[in-house]
Amino acid sequence: MKHNLRLIIFVGIMGLITSFLLAGMDALTKERILANQEAELKTTIMKAYDISYTLANLHEVFDESVKIMTHDGLSFYIDESTGYVSYVFEGSGVWGPIIGVITLQSDFETIASIVVLQQEETPGLGGIVAEAKYLSNFNGIKMVPSLEINKDARGAPNEVNAISGATRTSKAFEELLNESYARHKAAWLILNG
Amino acid sequence: MGKGGNVDMKWIRLKYKKWFNISKDGLVKNNQIVIAVLGICSALAVTNRVENAIAMGLGVTFVVMASSMTVSLIRNLIPSRIRMVTYMVIISSLVIMVQMFLEAYFFDIAKALGAYVGLIITNCIVMGRAEAFAVKNPVRYTLIDGFASGMGYTYVLILVALVREILAFGTILNVQVMPDAWPKWVVMAMAPGGFFVLGVLIWIIRELSKNFEVEMK
Repeated sequence: MKHNLRLIIFVGIMGLITSFLLAGMDALTKERILANQEAELKTTIMKAYDISYTLANLHEVFDESVKIMTHDGLSFYIDESTGYVSYVFEGSGVWGPIIGVITLQSDFETIASIVVLQQEETPGLGGIVAEAKYLSNFNGIKMVPSLEINKDARGAPNEVNAISGATRTSKAFEELLNESYARHKAAWLILNG
Repeated sequence: MGKGGNVDMKWIRLKYKKWFNISKDGLVKNNQIVIAVLGICSALAVTNRVENAIAMGLGVTFVVMASSMTVSLIRNLIPSRIRMVTYMVIISSLVIMVQMFLEAYFFDIAKALGAYVGLIITNCIVMGRAEAFAVKNPVRYTLIDGFASGMGYTYVLILVALVREILAFGTILNVQVMPDAWPKWVVMAMAPGGFFVLGVLIWIIRELSKNFEVEMK
């Protein structure tokens, strides 16, 4: 009995200390992490539009040159000089969420560029999904009728080669891009109704 | 006695120093991958490129040292029936705190390490060293042990990654070393390729060091 009591006390104290440490660390770092993520999103979008900025003035430049439209919780970032539109896509990959920014040309159908900001795929295989070299294959590809990521793609206007050795990541990426496109397109049509 | 004798004596004394033996254990004699066959899952996953192997190796080394140190500090308080749970809680809290810190202050490093963090928490070597060494040794030795085990893991990873990256991509650290006509051997980039290379490497090392289980007659 006495032994069990010691166990329970130990577990309780360990739980308290670790949760206190984790909560403290979270409180200390939360704001900076959010600020970092916001800055990353803004710089990604400005890079897609070839807008030059410095680390010091990125928020001002972003506010001046990018127009934001929101509908139903979905945000669109619009470059008014070219009509290009970006939005954030999100969905589950094989091991964890894949989050990124897709930029479409003014027809809202042709991909101008894709950047993956966060993923937890297998390094070296599925992880290739975040590499600029692979993502450049998507430039100029159509999202309609639907995007297809296939092994040995035959060069259809809506088709991209899959990552060799990472079939499941490729499939997941295809699904999440199509799914987020469908939702954003509906919102886009309403906004520009 | 001449000068050579002194050097010999120093060498002999070194062999009885505890830190020397701990390092030798971690790096060679009890190498965590080759001899103990721990940490194989992550070794297969990340050894298709040398840069991945280096990042993973350093991450694991750091986490083994930090978690072993913590376990060693409170080793007299841990009730033996729940020691495994305790290690797990310590390891995951540490890794999560390090990740938060990196995301806040070293965003680029955090981005580059992103995918490895989960693999570090579940690496059997971290738990293995806590149970086999840290829970019964003072802090200074656990640090040496953690470092040696981590480095032993790192160099085996790099060896495997060198072979795989050359065969699969014709590159080392993303620098092309093979001619353009090099046929890329895609299976080497995938997990089966890791199995082949790691298996052959373990076989060679065990054969050379005569470290194998003898069949009882």
